[in-house]
Order: sequence, then C-alpha cells, then structure tokens
Amino acid sequence: MTMRLFINGEERSAAVHPLTPLVDVIRDELLLTGTKSVCREGFCGACTVHIDGVPTMSCLLPVIAAEGKAVTTIEGVGGPGNMNAVQHALEEHDVVQCGMCFPGMVMSMTAYMERRPAAPRADIKAAMSGNICRCTGYERIIDALLSIAAKEDTTA
Amino acid sequence: MSRTADPAAAVMDLPRRDAPDKLAGRTRYTVDMAGPGTLHAAIRRADIPRGRIIRVESGVARQMPGVRAIVTAQDAPGTHGIGISDHPLFAGKEIRYNGEPIAAVAADTLEQARAAAAAIIVEVEALPPVLTMAEALSPSAPLVHEGWKDYGVLFEGGARKGNIAWEAKVVRGDTDAAFARPDVTIVEGCYEVGRQSHMPFEPRAAIATFEDGRLHLVTSTQVPWTVRAVTSSLLGIPSSQVRITVPPVGAGFGLKFDCTIEPVAALLAWKTGRRVSLANSRQEEMATCLCRENAQIRIRSAVTTEGEIVGREATVLMDCGAYGGEQIFLTTMTAHTLGSNYRLGSVRLSTRAIYTNTPPNGAFRACNGVYNTFALERHTDEICAAIGMDPVEFRRRAVFRDGSIGSTGQVFEGEVLVPMIERMEALKQKSGSREAEAGGRLYGRATTVGSWFVFVGPSAATVNLNADGSATLVTSGVEIGSGTMVQALPQIVAGQLGIRPQDVVVKAADTDAAGYDVGVGGGRTTVSLGAASVKACEDVLSKLLPVAAEMLQTSQDNLVLGKGRIEIAGRKGSGATIASVAQRAQALHGPVTGSGSFTGQGVPSMAGCAMGHFINAIDIPIFAVHDCEVAVDPDTGHVEILSYKVVQDVGRALNPRAIHGQIQGGVVQGLGYALHEDVTIDAKGRIAQDSFETYRIPLAQDVVPVEFELFEGAPSIGPLGVKGAGEVPILNVGAAVACAVANATGKPVSRLPLTPPRVLGLLVSDEPPLDHPHIGKDWSSNVIALPQSVRAG
Ligand code: FES
Ligand code: FES
Repeated sequence: MTMRLFINGEERSAAVHPLTPLVDVIRDELLLTGTKSVCREGFCGACTVHIDGVPTMSCLLPVIAAEGKAVTTIEGVGGPGNMNAVQHALEEHDVVQCGMCFPGMVMSMTAYMERRPAAPRADIKAAMSGNICRCTGYERIIDALLSIAAKEDTTA
Repeated sequence: MSRTADPAAAVMDLPRRDAPDKLAGRTRYTVDMAGPGTLHAAIRRADIPRGRIIRVESGVARQMPGVRAIVTAQDAPGTHGIGISDHPLFAGKEIRYNGEPIAAVAADTLEQARAAAAAIIVEVEALPPVLTMAEALSPSAPLVHEGWKDYGVLFEGGARKGNIAWEAKVVRGDTDAAFARPDVTIVEGCYEVGRQSHMPFEPRAAIATFEDGRLHLVTSTQVPWTVRAVTSSLLGIPSSQVRITVPPVGAGFGLKFDCTIEPVAALLAWKTGRRVSLANSRQEEMATCLCRENAQIRIRSAVTTEGEIVGREATVLMDCGAYGGEQIFLTTMTAHTLGSNYRLGSVRLSTRAIYTNTPPNGAFRACNGVYNTFALERHTDEICAAIGMDPVEFRRRAVFRDGSIGSTGQVFEGEVLVPMIERMEALKQKSGSREAEAGGRLYGRATTVGSWFVFVGPSAATVNLNADGSATLVTSGVEIGSGTMVQALPQIVAGQLGIRPQDVVVKAADTDAAGYDVGVGGGRTTVSLGAASVKACEDVLSKLLPVAAEMLQTSQDNLVLGKGRIEIAGRKGSGATIASVAQRAQALHGPVTGSGSFTGQGVPSMAGCAMGHFINAIDIPIFAVHDCEVAVDPDTGHVEILSYKVVQDVGRALNPRAIHGQIQGGVVQGLGYALHEDVTIDAKGRIAQDSFETYRIPLAQDVVPVEFELFEGAPSIGPLGVKGAGEVPILNVGAAVACAVANATGKPVSRLPLTPPRVLGLLVSDEPPLDHPHIGKDWSSNVIALPQSVRAG
C-alpha cells in the first residue's frame, strides 16, 4: 500500500504495509538514517521525531497514523551551519560521545526548551528521562541546556 | 634528531569535530549503511543451553521467498579464541549455550531472512547443562568442552583442567608464615557480582562485500585487526585478502573488542556474491552480549594492629561462559587489581576462568578490575573494622609508596596514591557533607582506592605533511565515542608539528591503509597510537627541518615550530610558513611523509612469581580515588547517591573537558552496575533480561554531577606523559557505593548490584556472611598444581 507522508516539508511516499513502524519507513524506505532505531519498544527515545510539532517515538507509531500529518526528523531541524539553540549548546559544551542517542535527544529537548525555556535543572532532568544515553552520564547535557536560558538572559 | 615539542602545546579543550554531524543525524554508523540492494542476514540460534545436534536441514528454508544463501558449521569448520582456540563460528555437533549460532541466512529482506532462519529444521538431543561455576567445579559435573585437551593453546603457561578453562597464579613470599604470626589479625571475606551488559546504542553490525576478489568488511568494532585475522582464518583465506574499515562506532565499552558476527556476514557475501548486512536485534544483542563476567571471590588477609598487611591470599572465579574468550586473558588482571593498591608482605592469588553452558562473557570497561576493586575495598573496610582503624587512615598507611612492589614484584614509581588521597580529603573538606539531605534515611560515606593500567601493545601511525601545511594522520584507530580520534590524537600531532589541530585530518580505520594495531580499548589509544603518532611526526620533522634550515640560513637547532610557521628562536615573525617549507621539501625530495611505530618495552617483575599471566607487570599503572555519600531508605531499600567525587591519575590532561565527559559517563555506568544493572541466567541458561525495560540502565534522574580533580604528573611512558583517561572512571564505583552502603547500614555488603530487595534483605535479615563452599578456605585447594619449586618454598 502506498503511504503519503509530509516529511521535513516535502511530500514523500512509500509502498509499505500500513502498520510498519514509522521509524522503519523513515530509515529504510526514505533513507533518512538520522533517526535511530535502538530499543524498538518506546524505552530509549532515540527514534523521537515530531508529529505536528509533538515529540513522538517513531518506533511505536504505525506509519498510517502519521499519514496527512507533518513529520519532522532530525534532518529537518538544522545541521552544521544552521544548528538550532539546543544543538548549539550541546556542541559548545562538548557533550557528544558516541552520538547515537543525540538525534532523539535533540528532538525531545528542542520541543521542551521551546515550551519551557527557563526550566530549572530538576525539571529538565525529569523531561529527559525518556531519552536514555549510555555514554555521557547526562549531567553535562543538562549543563548545556541550562546555558541556553542563561545566554538569553544576558543578551536580552 | 631529537627535537622535542613543548607538551603544553598539545593541551587544550579542543571541541569534537564530529559533534555537528552527530547532532544533526548526519553521521553514518555501520547500522545506517546497508542501503538499497543489500541482502539482509539473520542467524538461527540454539534454544537450549547444552545438547547434541542430530540434524540441521535447510532445504525447505532455502526454497523460501527471497532466500539467497544459507550457511552452517560445514561452511566454516575452524575455531578461534584469545588464549585457547575453543570457539567455532557455528555450533556443529554440540550446542554449548542458549543463543549459540547454528546457521545463518541471507535474503532480499530482513523479514525473509528471519522467516527462513526460523524454518531451518534443527533436531537436537538436549543434555543437562552446567549453568553455574559451583556446578562446573563439582567433581561430577559434565564437561562443557569434552575435547578441551585437544584445543590449540595460543599462549603457553596457564594451567587447565576440565571446566577450568584457565588458571593464573601469583605466589610471592610465604603466606603460611604470615598467617601463623602471633601479632596479626586474620580477616576473611567472600564476595560476588553478577554480569553487566554493555547496551551500546549501536548493536554489533557488519556489512560484507567481495571487491576485486578481496573481502571488504565495514564493521562496528574496536579491533579491526582482530576481525581481519579471525575472519580470514575462519574463512580459510589469506588475511591479506581481507580489508576492514570502521565508520564511527555507536559505542563499544569493550563489547566490540572481539570478532563476533563479522565472519558470518563474510561467509554469506562469499556464497551469494552480493553485499550482505548483518546486525543484531536488541534482543539478540542482549542474549549474546559478551558481558562483564559474573565472579566469586574469597580473600583472606593477615594484618598487624599498625595496619601492615603481612599476608594476603585470594581466589577469584570468573565465569567465561561457554567459550574462553577474553576471560582467559583477564585472569592476568587480578594481580594488577585485587593484588594492587596495597603493599603486601606476601601474597598468593589464584584466578580461574570457568566454563559454563551460558552465553560467553567478554571485555567491559576496566574489565574485572571493577569487581576485584569492589571485593578488595569491602575487604579493606572489614579489615579496618577488625583492627579498629579509620578507613582513610588505613589506606594512607598501607597503599603503594614510591618504590613499593606489587604482587608480581613490579616496582611502582612515584608518590601517587598518598597525595591523591590527600587531594580527596581536601575536596571532601571543601564541598562539605550532604548528610542533612539524607533526612530520615540512613546516611553513609566511603572513600576507596583503585588501580588499573594501560595495556600498551603495538600501534602504527603515518603522518603525511601536505603541501598546503595540513597533515593527514593514518592509523587503525577507531572513534568509539571517547573522542580520542577527534581530540587527543589531532592535538598531539598538531602540537608536534606546530600546526592547528583543525588542520590535522584523521583517517578512519582501514586495514588497507594503516599498520597493525591491537585495538581501541583498555585506555590504550591515546597512549599507543599517540606515541606512534609522535614518532611519525619526528620522522616528518627530520625531513622538514633541514629544508627549513637551508631556506632560513640557520641551523636546525635554532628552529621553533608554532602557529603554522617555522621560525628562528627568539625572532618573532622571522621564518616561513610550514606550508611553504613543505612545498619546498616536496619540490626537492618529494612529498613529506613520516611513519612511526610503538610498543611497550615491558616492565620487569620478580622472576617465577606469576604463572599463566599474559602480562607479568603493567607498563602504565593508573590510580583512582573515589568518594561517595549515600542515603539508604530503610523502608524500601532504595539507595540514593547524594554526592560522588573522583580524583583520577591522568598523567597529563590533554583535553580536560573531554576527560570530564569520560569521568561523568564512566561513573554513571558504574552507578548502574552498583545499584540496578542486574543480569541473571534463567533455568534454560538464557540471559533473562532482553530489553531496556527489563535491564535498567541509569536514567537522567538517577544521576548526580560528579565532582572531580585530575591528578597530573605521575610517571608515565605515554607520549607527553599521558595515561588513558576513559577506561578508569568506572573502576571503583561499585567499591565506593558498596562501602558507603555498608557504612550506612552497618551490614556486610558482599554482593552487587545493590537493588532495593537486596538492600532490604541486608537490613531485615540476620543471614550469615556470604560463603562460597566451592572456593576452599585453604588457598592451595583452589589451584590445579603448583610448580615444585613453589611448593617446596
Ligand atoms: S527505538 Fe523507539 S524508543 Fe527506543
Ligand atoms: S552519546 Fe552514546 S548513547 Fe548517548
């Protein structure tokens, strides 16, 4: 069956079973490999994309549920040269290690920081509990995210 | 020519060049590279822990849609291994663990490959398995390897017998006399830990093709040269016909320090003539994880009231699972972890790798150092309680000093541990206590010490100084996430050549381009590849500087390099750009290239006291002091970490910010091990945890920011005085947490992880202390045989 998707502002189609997890369509059919498929059961957050602006785990979502909605993947949020504030902060604080968790982390935390730019440390930690990272031990990611608000404070 | 660059030129908080792509999802790991037109592979695995294979019938599966090839043990009959060649690629006649590969399928899609793998008919006769080390050591136990005597032994010296795959021993001095002394207190303890699963986000994955008759494997590995050697031997093709390339690796932590699925992908590519991708599913990855091994330990010490350890005996049982693998080598490490830190008047150690019918174990960050340090530090605190001495004071008195000898007689140089303990005391003073945060819970605190090492081993590097003034560094190093290939190495090369690290291009590992390397692990990358890179730079300079001297009409000794220029010392603005000198050199003599290689020269130990050891003495010791405060909830058994502090011996900190990242990440992995990462083996010999849900690794809300200080200046043979910094942060976390929980509860903490039910059990029950009946109280009952000379002595 042909599925029509709006991904990163483009209309794309894929001939797949309607119950195929969205992450597989994104990675294997559309070859957008930035979104990672790590646990495939909604635990790690590495597969997070935005569906109509809402962070969603694409491993749990059948592709048919994304039809007609705007899907944004990590490839759609910015890259070298035009990184968003979250990506910038993470780069500046040198927090990336193996990097496998970061596409999902960026998707989740971009949405969160837009909603709550001045969130305190404890709240950011709580918001990050859906994104697992095996390498970094988290705290320096949180330092980086806190620096976004601090920076806006001083430039405002 | 011996022109030494100022080591300080290499020190900086260089950001990672791979971060922007990793943050934007542009980095392509092996799991991202299959692409259209590639065949997908699936493995058919055993579902019993032990049995005889009667029949494998793949005729029906072969006819299923999309199937291109099926391979079994007949296609790769050989074996491989680290110390003993005991490991076949596929089970042929015997199944030795639940999950062992029996066959593999390549098909057009992954679903087709999986369906066909499931359709292969496997007829087996199940046999009673040996699931625990206690069972394996019982005289009536079946042998996991009936033919153990006939295996090729790749390294001589270890005692072996039946289910004891390998035994390494240390005997120095007369412990019998020490324990018989009238003025000593004898303290004895047993300890036990489970396995730890690495859970790298990228599973083991490989893509194989045959190109111009040669095998090319793209693989997520830490050891490209091991994969090259093992794959060629299992396929029966010359190793020169195998090329390994390694894209960025989505973390390894030691899991990828061995060749595993690569030869399977290679066989299928060979059979089909097509590009074949094989990646473990998360369930397969966990079911066959080469975990940090479960272990059981008994330690006995004779200590004076002054805190002098006059005798120590210990036996360590390490479960290697169904095949020897890394554990054979790791038996060596007890001498350098459990046998380290403290000055011992006499010592006897026996470390035994035990075969069981369980999934094979492997290497994991600081390997058996983590649990040996746990056992040793708990034992040390028990000694302190027995002789009534403050634990920090005891450590001050008993740890290595300049000139102390280790268990194998190696001489340790420099005052390192004592000043590190003082640094920790000052840090504790400065930060104060968090006791108030414990509220109504039980508060505890502990400071522990630990020793690890860098396994140096051979490495090679080539540096091309390009005519534009940039340099290209070619090595077999792999970027596994620690940053070495994007930070430390370009920093070292830039510092040597006087250029910017941004101008050092680092080539990803390719065995067709770079020389041999042991692999990325054990904290050796910065040290060994760094040292080889320094030598390659020296070679470059030996070609560049004569040309510069001639251009500038001065002697080579007057030249200094920096900021992309070669100048005459003391005359700023004199001289020429490195690019222009490189162009001149290229015009005169051809392109400027340098090569360098390095290996540890070996450190002497005392003759005759280490048996079955792969390394008798360690090239670069690394010490760590950790402090932890905990609050234990007496109602739930939940342990909260209130604070965590690290003083780490780093030699020279090349990139302090990157080391901070390694310390925070390594400590948190250790907290998972200490508190809730629990691998168990079920009745069918399977690892019971098969998902992120059932195996709980730390989440953001579980962790605390680690306070740390880097201890610089301890002796190191590493380039610019560096030591590896990424391996060791996990080393004494289990120890520090366990000692703090023991301090909080007043109970003997002898097991990890400290899950809430286990802590609650400690609090409410009056169980007798842990005992391992299968580890004899008499040390000599825990060894296969001692050489005559030792027995007599
Ligand atoms: S892959 Fe979707 S949450 Fe882990
Ligand atoms: S950086 Fe490796 S999983 Fe987060």
